[in-house]
Amino acid sequence: MRLELDRVGVRVRNRELLADVSQSLEPGEIVALVGPNGAGKTTLLRAALGLVVPSAGHVRLDGRDVARLPPRERAAALAWLPQQPPLGEPLTVLEVVSAARFRYDEPSRASELAARRALERVRASELASAAITELSGGERQRVFTAAVLAQGARLALLDEPANHLDPAQQLDAYRLLGELAREGLGLLLVTHDVNLLNAVADPAQIVVLGLGRGRVAFRARLSAPELPELLGALFGIEFSAVSHAGRRLLLPVAGARAEAAR
Amino acid sequence: MTARGALLVLGSIAAIALSVFVGPELAGPHAGFVLLELRVPRALVGALVGAALALAGACFQIVFNNPLATPSTVGTLAGATLGALGALVFGFEPDALGLPATTLFAFAGALLASFLVAAVAVSGRARMSDVLLAGIAVSLAAGAVATGVQYAADSRALFAATRWSLGQLPQVGYRGVFLLAPIVVLTSAVLLSQTRALSSFVLGEETAHAHGVHVRRLRALVLVTASLAVAACVAWCGPIAFVGLIVPHVVRLAMGPSIRSLLPLSLIAGAAFLTLSDALARSIIPGRELPVGVVTAALGAPALVLLILRARR
Repeated sequence: MRLELDRVGVRVRNRELLADVSQSLEPGEIVALVGPNGAGKTTLLRAALGLVVPSAGHVRLDGRDVARLPPRERAAALAWLPQQPPLGEPLTVLEVVSAARFRYDEPSRASELAARRALERVRASELASAAITELSGGERQRVFTAAVLAQGARLALLDEPANHLDPAQQLDAYRLLGELAREGLGLLLVTHDVNLLNAVADPAQIVVLGLGRGRVAFRARLSAPELPELLGALFGIEFSAVSHAGRRLLLPVAGARAEAAR
Repeated sequence: MTARGALLVLGSIAAIALSVFVGPELAGPHAGFVLLELRVPRALVGALVGAALALAGACFQIVFNNPLATPSTVGTLAGATLGALGALVFGFEPDALGLPATTLFAFAGALLASFLVAAVAVSGRARMSDVLLAGIAVSLAAGAVATGVQYAADSRALFAATRWSLGQLPQVGYRGVFLLAPIVVLTSAVLLSQTRALSSFVLGEETAHAHGVHVRRLRALVLVTASLAVAACVAWCGPIAFVGLIVPHVVRLAMGPSIRSLLPLSLIAGAAFLTLSDALARSIIPGRELPVGVVTAALGAPALVLLILRARR
């Protein structure tokens, strides 16, 4: 299973959202998308999913155009954790997670069983019969993560998987992603905090893809010595590297570059 | 199913069964005729129409992600009204297929309007909010044309059109049952079979897409299927307000969150609600009948407000 974005460009009403972006993803691989707000990170995930049609280039799954795949087949390859949608209709948590089993041709009892297992995995079993509309942001995020698990796809596209979570839960969420990656799930995730990636896997295994104004600004391993400099240039601030427990942490600081920008 | 759900089902079935005994006492030589030829078929039509309207309402509230969506959000009612009005005003003579011209034209108008809107739903990149607007546009346009037709009409046709627009369950015989039953049963089966896809839809069309739902196909299927049922009901009985809007909300508030129970319970509760409303409509004022829409509104609106207040407390 291989997802391939090949020189993808996306234009919406004459606005260029993505241009000439190439990236691939296979099971077990971890690619982190970083970049300022509006850089095209979410658009890239949406293009990968076939939600937006590229105006240039191709998105392929195992060589086949993703827009032409039968929906269930696509769903077997790609799961999606969106930024949280507003929910009109109240559903139970169990129904939300079971809904992700749509691609399977199975009785609803089987879907519910799989959903309960997924909820257990994210330590949210006790929420099963609660209404999704009544959960806190953090609880919801865990439930939607469970839905991604329940879908059982080989690759997952995650739009800020730690959104709405407190620091402990953020760490927890990223550790869980690490477990899943070791089990063979491919991750393409949008994040604003590269340090959390340390909880996922060895920094040398993680690819950081920097997006600026819809274009690839850089591609580097999380362990790359030049990463602080690259991130600094991308965001227009300075990143300072500190060492903690054998890991390198990157801290945004108001440094000379920020002063110069003003 | 939960105990509450079971209670609602049993209560609804009992309500439908008992509704035939509401009204002037059944006695004398005509009692059998009144019961079997008048009240039973009328209760059955009421159950079919109520079920279809409530299920369509619940489905539309989901696909439009809008609690105010009704079975006629896609222009069904405006189209039917225009069709019926046209038939009355221009004096088309009845009896194609043995059906009155009013019914046939109302059916055609309803289908035309709602399929027009459904066509928007499957075209290109239209969002459901665009489809909602298209429904409003078609309704307003049909309404404007209807006003023009009314202006040209004579007073007899106008009176007949007004009577039609009040909505009423048919008075005599099993014809309505035989005509509506296949349509309602078939369309309801199709809609209920989409429960899984619809529960993905609640999480947003894009999430449904990610889950593997064929979004445009689902939209088209739901809009066309529900519109077919609603068009048949409206053509046969005229517009009956409130059932499609209120029943799903009452079911939600009474049963708690769960889309899997929402759709079947709306269907059953809708059947009971309209049948009961109709029984009341013919017996509140002895010797006279109120339009059933008056009763559905009088019962439904306060019930909804009460449930909302209770739920928000």
